[in-house]
Amino acid sequence: MWTYDKKLQYPVKIKNPNPKLASLIISQLGGPDGELAASMRYLNQRYSMPYGQVTGILTDVGTEELAHLEMVAAILYQLTRNLSEDEIEKSPFATYFVDHTTGIYPIAASGVPMDMKYVGIKGDVIADLNEDLAAEQKARVTYDNILRLTDDPDVRDPIKYLREREIVHYQRFGDALRIAQDHLDSKNFYAFNPSFKPKR
Amino acid sequence: MKQQHQPCRSCAEALALLRALDFAIQETVLYLDAYPECRQALDYYHTLLHKREEAAARYEDTCGPLTLYGNRSTDSWDWTRGPWPWEAEAN
Repeated sequence: MWTYDKKLQYPVKIKNPNPKLASLIISQLGGPDGELAASMRYLNQRYSMPYGQVTGILTDVGTEELAHLEMVAAILYQLTRNLSEDEIEKSPFATYFVDHTTGIYPIAASGVPMDMKYVGIKGDVIADLNEDLAAEQKARVTYDNILRLTDDPDVRDPIKYLREREIVHYQRFGDALRIAQDHLDSKNFYAFNPSFKPKR
Repeated sequence: MKQQHQPCRSCAEALALLRALDFAIQETVLYLDAYPECRQALDYYHTLLHKREEAAARYEDTCGPLTLYGNRSTDSWDWTRGPWPWEAEAN
């Protein structure tokens, strides 16, 4: 089960609202490589993992992704504060505003709502961990792209933090893959299917 | 302290008590969210909180960590030891 800590993992304090930027950053909430997809991917992959260490890494990274989901939402919330009708109308944010006002609704920057089609869960330790390694790199690229599109230091600071976390998670999933492979028959590394738990 | 693969009777009992207290706290919190002025509910919350701290400490001392902050051992990392909560043995 989970409990909630009433704090952000890293502070978000944005002085200047920017609805156009919000309509881009929202991809890290509900886009294909966003934080909601990430948390659902890892937390739901845990059940078929045959090794406790790998289950632990998925639990802890998946939980951290929920904290990142809240940070991205905080960025969106602060970027869309105190907008005038004129500011909304002139921004690409207007198409989102008409459906969701300034509520936080997980969609991609393209407007497609969050979809579990973004998430791969194969029930196989090798397949799933390779999915996770790719997912962390894809999320890192999305944060790189966001950094290319804004020079507001108040936004760049938490985005850079989130980007760094993708890199650390990639390292840990690399460790998880190594741990899993150490359990496999070294002569039969890729052919052996380890997804069925050995009896205790 | 290493976590047992098959939770011993005292761990199962400690977990049952913790679940009961956590559920009582959950219910009281939901009530207080709506009725923050209720003195009786606030007192009940504090009574439960005290019992919860004791129950959590008892569980973590012998049965393994409950959260990231509960690995009591300074010699071994018990957080990733099984069984996991979704396994029948853990329930």
